[in-house]
Amino acid sequence: MTDIKYMILISRQGKVRLVRWYHTFTAKEESKMLKELAAIVLSRKARMCNILEYHDHKVVYKRYASLYFVCGINADSDNELLTLEIIHRFVEIMDTYFNNVCELDIIFNFAKAYDILNEMLMCDGSLVETSKQEIIKHITHMDAVETNDNLNRVFA
Amino acid sequence: MTSAFAPSTEEVMQRLRPFGLFFEKSLKDLIKGIRAHSETPEQLGQFLSQALSECREEVNSAEFNLKTNAVLKLTYLEMYGYDMSWANFHILEVMSSNKIQQKRVGYLAASQSFYKDSDILMLATNLLKKDLKYDGLNDKVKMGIALSGLSTMVTSSLARDLCDDLISMLSSNRPYIRKKAIAALFKVFLDFPEALRDNFESFVARLEDEDSSVVSATISVICELSKKNPVPFIPLSPLFYEMLINIDNNWIIIRLLKLFTNLSQVESKLKPKLLPKILELMDLTSATSVIYESINCIVKGGMLGDTDLDTAMNCLEQITKFCNSNDPNLRYVSVVLFYKIGKINTEFISEYDDLVILLLKDVDISIRSRALELLEGAANEDNLPKTVKILLKQFIEKNTVPLSRSEKSSGTMDQFKTIEVDMPAFYKVKMAFTILKICSMNSYANLVDFEWYITVLRDLCFVSMELKDENLGRKLGEEWRNILVKVPEMRGKAMGAVLELVSSNDISTYLPSVLKECIWCIGEYSNLVDNGDDLITLLMRVKFTAADIGQILIHALLKIFSNWCNNRGSAEPIEVKRLVEQLITFLETYSLSKFVEVQERSYEYLEFLKLCDESIDVNIQELPLLITDVLPSLFNSYELNPISLGTQKRLQSNVTIDLETPFLSESDLQNLLNRSEYKLEAGENIPENLSDDSDSSIFSQHDDLHSPDLLKEEEYTRVDTKRQSDEIQRKIDRQTNPFYLDDGDDARVIRQKSNSLVDLEPEESPGVSNAIRLSKDERIPVENPQKKNKKKKRLQVLADETVPDTHPSTESDEHHDNNSATSGNTFSNKINLRNRSKLEGFDFASNKSLTPLSPDSTGEAQADLDKLRAKFANQSLEDSAQDEEVIVIKRKKPRKSKKSKKKPKDKENSANDKQDTHQNAGEV
Repeated sequence: MTDIKYMILISRQGKVRLVRWYHTFTAKEESKMLKELAAIVLSRKARMCNILEYHDHKVVYKRYASLYFVCGINADSDNELLTLEIIHRFVEIMDTYFNNVCELDIIFNFAKAYDILNEMLMCDGSLVETSKQEIIKHITHMDAVETNDNLNRVFA
Repeated sequence: MTSAFAPSTEEVMQRLRPFGLFFEKSLKDLIKGIRAHSETPEQLGQFLSQALSECREEVNSAEFNLKTNAVLKLTYLEMYGYDMSWANFHILEVMSSNKIQQKRVGYLAASQSFYKDSDILMLATNLLKKDLKYDGLNDKVKMGIALSGLSTMVTSSLARDLCDDLISMLSSNRPYIRKKAIAALFKVFLDFPEALRDNFESFVARLEDEDSSVVSATISVICELSKKNPVPFIPLSPLFYEMLINIDNNWIIIRLLKLFTNLSQVESKLKPKLLPKILELMDLTSATSVIYESINCIVKGGMLGDTDLDTAMNCLEQITKFCNSNDPNLRYVSVVLFYKIGKINTEFISEYDDLVILLLKDVDISIRSRALELLEGAANEDNLPKTVKILLKQFIEKNTVPLSRSEKSSGTMDQFKTIEVDMPAFYKVKMAFTILKICSMNSYANLVDFEWYITVLRDLCFVSMELKDENLGRKLGEEWRNILVKVPEMRGKAMGAVLELVSSNDISTYLPSVLKECIWCIGEYSNLVDNGDDLITLLMRVKFTAADIGQILIHALLKIFSNWCNNRGSAEPIEVKRLVEQLITFLETYSLSKFVEVQERSYEYLEFLKLCDESIDVNIQELPLLITDVLPSLFNSYELNPISLGTQKRLQSNVTIDLETPFLSESDLQNLLNRSEYKLEAGENIPENLSDDSDSSIFSQHDDLHSPDLLKEEEYTRVDTKRQSDEIQRKIDRQTNPFYLDDGDDARVIRQKSNSLVDLEPEESPGVSNAIRLSKDERIPVENPQKKNKKKKRLQVLADETVPDTHPSTESDEHHDNNSATSGNTFSNKINLRNRSKLEGFDFASNKSLTPLSPDSTGEAQADLDKLRAKFANQSLEDSAQDEEVIVIKRKKPRKSKKSKKKPKDKENSANDKQDTHQNAGEV
């Protein structure tokens, strides 16, 4: 449904906080895109639209607090508005999970953030789960299993 | 003292590790370290490489917690651009741990890194198989992790191996597993289409799953699959339609709309059923993304024909709402939609020109830039001046947009604040191109006031200086040329502006690419200039560096010279001689040019001018025939008319030129030679080493027929080069030929005619450097009072000349696409957006050919399948992953080359539309 090419979280200082490629790019392309996208997105002014044309595809970004969520989508077939909603959904879920998520949460628990993303988006960047409750339920379940696992090992 | 019961330090550490208490550098330490060391890049780099080498050691450790921790750190460092594929084997070890936490880290690392390395996947197959097995404890989580991981790294061999496991999971009693299996199956289907064919029923049965997440995932997957090949899913349309009516989840509705977009592209019968429903949906919903997707579906699903006015209006009404919204995203989307609808039929959007003009003033450049593309469809006779004025203003003025448009602006201050919009160069270039395009479209169909256009062009040239865009300069030059050639009544005016450009130092420094055509124009229409001698001096003063300008300049100088000497009839031979000498000195410098073409041309004219010089010396009282007759005949034989693009090519392929039959038969030649020999013997001064006998023979043949000044000319033949004898011969030919005799006069008549068309006073061309005067014809009264009326009157625009079209299909494309040379209006009701649509066509086709999916089991599909099988059979392990859509696990190179192969194909499509290509270049 939407064909997300990548999802990148960039801090206001231009640091990459999370990056997930759904299409294959060479390492060179990846680093070039990260650099360019950070520069472009950070230079956008407040009242500009959240959609950019970048090389052969479009970039949809949205700023939440100090983080920019940047998505690359297919220029032709994708729904820009929906992509914004996906980003928003991702932020909502992290917000619920971390309880008022901030940049530091994502930095220190980047693996968790990836897990949430994995639950939400399919391997090729299509949305697979839209329900917030479902995702939270599974992530917390996994966490519980993990803790159990660890406790078992300590008491063993 | 250690007690026997107290645990050893080793054991304590071991036990605390699971709680995140590490004694090695933990992830937390790493992150904190990075933050502490990020003052200078060197410091950070040093810290990171140190951390990396620690990880290298830790990852080798036999201790699993340590190893896991190292892998996690590496995953983090990967975000900083540090490759971690070297650790793939260790990642695999971590994946195989039976601790969920470690497994999770392992799979995360794998999904970030494995797709870069294929070999590791061979090793991973068994592990995945094992992890996908249901074995009681924590199976759901474990399987979930494995399935998520799997979907990021499927290759076709992996797909084949795991397909059955995944299919059996579709009937798992846990919805989570079913959902994950469906997501993972998507990749499997792409790589291994047989799986879809064989399990189609059980797969689509999930559409009716009791769990909504599973249904949603199934639709997602079907929607994605239908992008590659919609055919197998068409029989399911009734089911999808039911869902569209009954489901109220917007996420799913949007996916269904996308799915229908894909389906109706191949099945036109869907339209009558779907369209009312979609329109209804559009009216009822309040979600903008649903409205957007509905319109998308209508437009892209081919449900909007170029005559469906009602549907179009329905959509446009919604788009207008978007357009007036405060949300810049909606405005952006509205421009995109406008564009798509306009592409179907420009009539649809032609009423919305006010809206488009509004968008041109948007705060956001990307919206403005999209709106520019719309102008082609929205511009008309009435709004053209207004539109161009807006655009021109954006070049020079600071662009500020009031914030007050937003209602929810936080402070009261904001209401009075404005935002300054910076105009990137690419946007300015695009604006300039758009102005040229909308004005010159369809042979200036929208343009009423050419005087105004000339000032616009002039301004455009000056504002374009800072952009330093060579293509733009060239385009502007071409525009000048087109005006001069195609609009005879405007020649005087345009000449004034062109002269100003050429004499401007700034232009020749910053925008030299415009000069080539300008100089050509000056040369070609130099009969409009009174004091050609000053013009020549001016042109010789300007320093031109580019080769192409040099080539044009040499011709232009001679044309001006020719016109100046002959137009007024009063050029004093003394003055002429002075000018000739100046020209000779000038050309001598050019004859040393490093550009061959420039060198050749300057030598040609140099020799000619030297002859002129000498002939003036012979008779200082009047101008020699060489200047009065020979020189003009070089340039003025025919009136120059615009021809449409491609005509030349067609002529070349059409006309059969007989290159075989000799002009003279053997006997004719012999006769001539005999006669010339006779002449040579009888004639006085003709040198024996004359290179071309036949030439001189013709010359001498006419010799006795002719006037005394011809005899004068004849003296030159003594020292003549072959070329000159050619010219003389041609001249004689003309004088003897009744048609040519008339022609000479004709040329003059035409000149006067074009002069008389120009009703200008000197002050009407203010920009002209005062040295150069445009001639005006006294006989025609200057009709100033009529100027007002003239504004409404359409000037004549010369139509392009064509030859009867014998190859209608082959050349018609490039024909219509070039705005400057198009006269045909066949395409006038379509926006010329060709290179946009190529993307659409391209995507679908390439995907289809790359990943054909087997439709379920119809007979027709069987053939496809056999082909597929053959393809798969032939595939060696190395190049199994060439699908663009798949995360490529194997080498990158095959994919790259594929991409680059596609590019040229696109170019071909767009190559015939230069204008759009430029625009595109701007965007890209």
